[in-house]
Amino acid sequence: MRLRLLAAAAALSCVAPLVPARADASLEYAVKAAYLPKFIPFITWPDSAFASPATPVTICVLGDDPFGGKLEQAAGGTKSGERAIVVRRLAEPDPSASCQLIFLGAGDPAVAQGTLDAMKGRPVVTVTDSGLKAHGVISFLIDANHVRFDIDDAAAAQGGLVISSKLLSLAHAVKQRGQP
Amino acid sequence: MPFRGIRWGLGLLLAANLLPPGARAQQVASADDVQELSIEQLANVEITSVSKAPQSLSAAAAAAYVISHDDVIRSGATSIPEMLRLAPNLEVMQSSPSAYQIAARGFNGSSSAQNFPNKLLVLIDGRSVYTPLFSGVYWDMQDVLPEDVERIEVVSGPGGTLWGANAVNGVVNIITRKASDTQGGVAMLGAGDSYSSAALQYGGSFDSNLDYRFYVKDFYQRSFNSAAGTTAHDAWSKPQGGFRVDWTVAQDLVTLQGDVYGGAEGQLNTPNQTIAGANLTGHWQHRLDDDSSLQLLAYYDQAQRNVLNGGGFILNTYDVELQHNFALGSWNNIVWGAGDRIYDYAITDRVAPDTSLLWRPGHRVLNLADVFAQDQIPLSDSLQLTVGLKVENDPYSGISPMPSGRLSWQVAKDHMLWAAISRAVRAPTPFDTDVVEKLGTVSFLAGDINFLPEQVTAYELGYRGRISDSVTLSISAFENVYDDLKDIEPTPVTFTPLRWANTMQGNVHGVEIWGSYKPTDWWRLDAGFNIQHMDLSFAPGASKLLGIAQAGDDPHHQASLRSSMNIWDDINFDADFRYVGALPDPKLPEYVELNARLGWRASDTLSFSLSGFNLLHSQHLEYVGGDQIRRSVYLETRLRF
Repeated sequence: MRLRLLAAAAALSCVAPLVPARADASLEYAVKAAYLPKFIPFITWPDSAFASPATPVTICVLGDDPFGGKLEQAAGGTKSGERAIVVRRLAEPDPSASCQLIFLGAGDPAVAQGTLDAMKGRPVVTVTDSGLKAHGVISFLIDANHVRFDIDDAAAAQGGLVISSKLLSLAHAVKQRGQP
Repeated sequence: MPFRGIRWGLGLLLAANLLPPGARAQQVASADDVQELSIEQLANVEITSVSKAPQSLSAAAAAAYVISHDDVIRSGATSIPEMLRLAPNLEVMQSSPSAYQIAARGFNGSSSAQNFPNKLLVLIDGRSVYTPLFSGVYWDMQDVLPEDVERIEVVSGPGGTLWGANAVNGVVNIITRKASDTQGGVAMLGAGDSYSSAALQYGGSFDSNLDYRFYVKDFYQRSFNSAAGTTAHDAWSKPQGGFRVDWTVAQDLVTLQGDVYGGAEGQLNTPNQTIAGANLTGHWQHRLDDDSSLQLLAYYDQAQRNVLNGGGFILNTYDVELQHNFALGSWNNIVWGAGDRIYDYAITDRVAPDTSLLWRPGHRVLNLADVFAQDQIPLSDSLQLTVGLKVENDPYSGISPMPSGRLSWQVAKDHMLWAAISRAVRAPTPFDTDVVEKLGTVSFLAGDINFLPEQVTAYELGYRGRISDSVTLSISAFENVYDDLKDIEPTPVTFTPLRWANTMQGNVHGVEIWGSYKPTDWWRLDAGFNIQHMDLSFAPGASKLLGIAQAGDDPHHQASLRSSMNIWDDINFDADFRYVGALPDPKLPEYVELNARLGWRASDTLSFSLSGFNLLHSQHLEYVGGDQIRRSVYLETRLRF
């Protein structure tokens, strides 16, 4: 489901992307870690998603943590409106955990798919890692060596979430509300 | 090149060649810096996709070097050929302010034998800029703002299966940035003792789905001195403008882009040579629900040149290509497609008392059709096979199959071995088939309608990997077996006219190595080295008239070392050292040269850079018969608004 650069050259390299052997996984995940708390101010949850007006926004990481502490660094001390942003780790899917945003890593596609199914229609922003076939409300992708994201605004609508047009405009591709 | 005005001789030798400097890698942002970036800026951080997509690494079972946007900016390069000096797997030799000879794995041609560096295919956003008239690239007619380069993929080795004819020894893909990556205005003004330029670009968006940019630029580059030490009177300038629009909707991406340019190049003792052109390219990608995608590329390109004594050409190219990617079961990742290209050209004869260049016919409409398919098959978790075939119907030589098989083996997490066997051809052109060159009234040289494609079968082996967190390495070795190479044969008894023939053959083998080392967060070193041995010979019965030197005058080896330092938050310094081995025949001594650039970001909106090119000598020669390349300095100011 990755939309890639249109350039025909790149199009051809869709099949055989020519990437230099300079894997910098730490940078890739640092960028993804930096994104997660920055998404939050652009998203409006229904009031029902929070226990009280002072309840923090919780970012949950399910399964293996690819961020190695960078997510805490990125989220530390940040706020969205009056709410603090906190990070929580879940060893396994826990529907009772009050997560407003769940990051699903590529390590276990079955767990990711199961969580996506369980969260469907709930006010939770699912964020899927690049490399996963299944896509959440937000899905990371690597486009020509850049970390970008797609947004499924239709899925967000089902969960009562409102994503600001500003964030939609930054997305690589958007699945609009009202689309099947 | 036939339309470069000068240099029509017979004789043999010629050409010198060179090589480039350094490999160098992307990205200077460190993992800790990115938290400070805005959400918009995050999208611009360059990472590599290797770790998360093992198939993309293994799929690059080829000697591929990527020049990043950062590399381009930090090199200070102001033209595409100068950017290409960053690729350790290319030979780049400059012969005048506007002329370059660029090749991969040898065969940089011989201007005295009128054989050109014709085995490297070059595309800008999918648009081929390889001229079908004589085979080769008019580098002076191609330009992209350094600001707008996303990356340049340089693949040494055949690329015929994906890219078609003429990708014999390599492919260069120049990919420009999306309009969304170049939002806002930027004004650039630069001046130096050899080159001055000005450019203005503005990018905006109509709504969240439609981004655009447009730009204009102009430059003036003063004359070099000829080898004799007197001015070559070959100053040139070329205004250019262009635009790009990207439209994104849920399942579709549509891009429309175009450029228009016109320029004048000085000539020794004769009127200016003029060049002009325009192009318009449309891309459409449609994502289908089943995870497959369809892509359509169409472009129109017009190029014209007028040289002294009235010779010149106008060439119109129309191209359309369709591609479909899909998965077949869990085992096959297939891409297939078809394309058609029409060349409509008219060449004006050059007629002069001493030498004339005539074309019979001078006008043709050529049609080139192709179909291709490629399948990626994972044989195991670590082993992947890619097989493909392109079949092209060439207007002169008919059906040419260009198959390839590539195998990649992920030996360990960061270490990949690959092997490939592929075939590619260099297609005949009007210059091979239709040309008549006269000396006075004598027909001296004539094209041959039976001229065959030059062909290669290439055997390649490579390693690419990450030795440690700070060290990367790529090694590729090749053995290229050529047949039907172009040379020249006399007519029996009468001797003249000489005719193009396919009576040369042989092997070329070599090794290309590059790597990077990042001792600290703020310093990175890139090194490149290549060595090759050419073993060409003539078919039985060939006259050997011009010797094997007519194939090319390539350096046996070249090396480069590049240093990129972030000295301070807002100050960076890059130095780029290159060594090019001696040219064998005709001889030209080896040389070393150094480029350096100091960049200072004075504020969010204002930055300055001071570049020095070819600093080690006041002048040096890169090409036999070419100008002396002069030391130069260049100061650029860049204002964002």
